[in-house]
Formats: sequence, structure tokens, C-alpha cells
Amino acid sequence: MSPDELVYLSAAEQGKLIRTHELSPVGLVRAYLDRIERYDGILRSYITVCADQALEHARQAEKDIGAGRYRGPLHGIPYGVKDQICTKGIRTTLGSKIRAGYLPDHDATVIERLGAAGAILIGKHNLDEWGKGSTVDFMFGRPRNPWNLEHTPSTSSSGSGIASAAGLCSGAIGEDTGGSIRGPAGANGVVGLRPTFGRVSRFGGVMYGWNADTIGPLTRTVEDCALFLAAIAGHDNKDPLTSTRRVPNYTTHLNGDIKGLRFAIVREMTWNEGVHPDVRKGMEEAFEVLRSLGAIIEEISLPLARYAVPLQMLTVDADVASMFPRLLKTRWHDFERGLRARLMTALLTPAAVYSRAMRGRALVRGQILAAFERYDALLSPTNFNPAPRLDDPRETVDQGRDYLEREYFRRITNYPYNVANVPAIAIPAGFSRDGIPISLQIAVRPFAEETVFRIAHAYECATSWHRKHPDLDRVFLEFQRKSQPRSA
Amino acid sequence: MELTKEQVQLLARIYDIEIPDADLENIRRRLCSLLSAMERIEEELGADLDRTEPVPPVYPQENF
Repeated sequence: MSPDELVYLSAAEQGKLIRTHELSPVGLVRAYLDRIERYDGILRSYITVCADQALEHARQAEKDIGAGRYRGPLHGIPYGVKDQICTKGIRTTLGSKIRAGYLPDHDATVIERLGAAGAILIGKHNLDEWGKGSTVDFMFGRPRNPWNLEHTPSTSSSGSGIASAAGLCSGAIGEDTGGSIRGPAGANGVVGLRPTFGRVSRFGGVMYGWNADTIGPLTRTVEDCALFLAAIAGHDNKDPLTSTRRVPNYTTHLNGDIKGLRFAIVREMTWNEGVHPDVRKGMEEAFEVLRSLGAIIEEISLPLARYAVPLQMLTVDADVASMFPRLLKTRWHDFERGLRARLMTALLTPAAVYSRAMRGRALVRGQILAAFERYDALLSPTNFNPAPRLDDPRETVDQGRDYLEREYFRRITNYPYNVANVPAIAIPAGFSRDGIPISLQIAVRPFAEETVFRIAHAYECATSWHRKHPDLDRVFLEFQRKSQPRSA
Repeated sequence: MELTKEQVQLLARIYDIEIPDADLENIRRRLCSLLSAMERIEEELGADLDRTEPVPPVYPQENF
């Protein structure tokens, strides 16, 4: 098997080969490092690559496995992490000039747990500044969609989505406040899970959205997502809001059986006027696949879901912004222009409006949780539109169109689930006519991640989207061709 | 809810921040848009909001 084929195996497949000594963790890390060198100058998925450390840990993993000290399916598996999550002795920049030199003296809990599982950190992924998706000018280079370099990889765990899709790691850990895992998973054609708030420790992440920020995996398959979640989930004394619930075996029900499960398509998040025709068609086909597997699918209206966008922005954004008045006063121009506009706006939210909006969040959550009394899962697209072009006017800061109307179309598919704090997964569901990934989102009741994996896995087995990978050589050639100035 | 640039600049003084002119209109537009949205939510849901506790959606101990 060639290195280029090896890098695109799932982490589960790689893990089996590592266990039987048919694949060396050192060889696997080297293969990813070669590809990062070859492609990431343009893709910009990494801010920091920990090549020496990764190779050292790979050699140790090889030694340990050879000596019978095998730790499990992630032993020897290289992964990347969004540069919002602290790694001891490795800079954690948050994509920001202000934190460009920050060297944490501790690992985040998720990093410790992945290390205990034998996984190998290969680098820190690029992101929207401070993990809040408003960045227009990226300090560490503009991340690009590996399916078409002129398109956005979505936000804010951009690098984590790119690296998983482009075969630059076996899997990634991102962070999701308002779709920051699901959006990039959808745009790059990989699997991304926002877990239940409280399922995964936030300790060591820079998590100012204190009641909305979650940490979760981005991977090429559902099984890999389940393996990564199993490694990082569970109570942590260092994060008092983590649940003491038992962490189940997330791979037990990956058997393709969803017969009799009841799903509801959320009308306000699916059949909106602004849905791209290719996404609409993709969703219709995805729902037919689920029906063919025996699921019962109905439609449901959640009218309060449409308020999730302003309610989140009036509350979670204010929570985040409350950490920045001093820095905004002294280092205004060191903040990226999209982010500083968002933070300053949130700082000016009156306290009484914040309090009323929190009541509104509770109402929206109540309606969504009530839906789970009748249905096992809620369905919608992950994004209304395939990832747009980087020069699309929607991607720039100053707009004549109403700001909230624009944000609504970008965020309505994601925000209801973060307002309700329910787990939701994004899975590949096809491509637009322009070859940009389309994604299906499945949400379940709190702490039912094993159900969401079961459903997503069944869909994945019945389709072949997860086996498609971007042909980076062709994509790069096309990009170069278009970038060349025309001869006189 | 419509605020002028001057009013937004005054509000920023709470934090002793002077918003540069180049950013001011963008922030004004965003703030007005969000506050107007909350006005609409109050019109439709105000009585329900009155009856609902602003409990953060975190579940360390609840059962489902």
C-alpha cells in the first residue's frame, strides 16, 4: 500500500494494522509529515507541526506495542488539535497575534487522555481567531478547502476539518460553540461531533463561552469519531460541569440497524427558502436512504428554533466578550477586524437583555427537548449552502444586507442544537454540482451519543461518501492554473 | 431599535474604549440588528419569557 493510500485509511483500520505490526507508527507519522510539507503551504491547516515530538512518541509507541504494552485502538495514531486547546510546552496561539507566543505549562484534559490512549499529537490546527468564527484576515495564513482551494473550509475549527479531509492526520480534535466542529466537518466532507455539554472536559481549552463550548472529534469515519470520543469523554474533577454518567462503549451498536427508529426532519432548519438546490436534493436523497434502512421519518416544526441565532449571539457572545474589555482597549488593532466587531458588539449588550435572552434560550431548549420525547433523532442539513467561495461577498465584514439576516442563514442549522446543548453529528452526504461536500446533521437527546453514532454509521455503510477523498494534486494544479496571470 | 454612531460610541465609554471610525458603523449595524431581534422576540414571547427561569443549559446531574 502506498503512503498516499495509507494516510486515507480510517484510524480504526490503521489501528488494526499497527496492532498486528503490519504498520509502523513511525512510518505513519512520517507519511503525514511528508504530506503536510507537500500540501499545507497552501491549505494552511496547521499553525504548529510537532514533527520531532511526534516521531519520538511514534518510536516509543512502536517499542511499547512490540513489548506487548498495547493500549487500544488509538495507540500509535497521529492526530491534530485545534489551536484553542492547551498543549504543554507547545505554543497555543488561538490564531491570534495577542497569544502568538503563549506556551502553556499544562496539557488540556483531552490531550492527557489521548496521550494515555497512545495517540500521537502531530500538530496544532489553524482556526478562526480565538475560536470565534468571524475571521477575515488570518494571522497564520488563510485556510482553504481541500476540495477546491478557492472555497472556504468553514469556521472555526477550519484546520481540523481540512487536515482530516486532506489526509494530513488520522483524526482531529476541534471545538464547537455554534457549529465550529459541524460546519468545518460539513464543508470538508468529514464526520464531526458536537457532544453533549458536560460529556467532555473543557479543562485546558480556552473556553470563554462557558455554557456552550464543547470539545469533540473530526474524523473520516463514524467509527473513528466514536473511538476518539471514547478516549476523551468522562467526568473530570478539573471541569466541575462534566457529567458523572458512565461513558458507554460507543462502538457497540455500529451494526447498521436502525429499523424502527423514529426521526423528524426539522422544517425550519431544512426546507428554508434559502437552501441551496444541491443541498435540498442531497437531503431528500439522504432521507430516502434512511427510510430504506427502516427508519420512520416525519416532519416537525420547531418554530422557536428560528430565535436561536439572536439568542445565542446575545448571550454566548456576551460571555466571551466579557473576557476582553481590557485587551480591546489596549490592543484593538491586534484583534482581527471581524472578531473585534463581534466582540465589541457583544460587550454593548445590556445586562437585562442578556438575562431575557437566557430565558429565551431555555424556551428554545424546552421545545427541542420535548421533540425528543417523540423522536429518536432530528434531521437537517449541516449547512444551507455548500462552502462558498472565499471571495463571496457573504464572507466579507461590511454588508449592506441586514447583518442578522445574513447570520441567520449561516447559523440556523447549527445554533438550535447549541442553544439546547444536545449532541449533533455532521456526516458526509454527497457533493454539490461544483464538487463541494454536502453534509447531513443528526441530533439526539442529551448523552445519547451512542444513538447518534448508530444512526450515522448505518447511513455511512449504506453510502460511499466517506470513501471519497480530495485529489490534492489535481486541485492544486487547477488552483495554480487559475492563479496564473494571463499573458498579454 | 436604532442607535446612532454617536450613541454607540458613548456606550463604549463604559469600557473606556474609543471605537475607531473604520469599525464604528459595522458595530452599530450589528448591535441595532441584535437589539431589534430581541424586541421582536419580546413581542412574541414576552409572557413566556416572564415564566421561564434563565437556567443555563448544563446537565451535570439530570436524567433523560
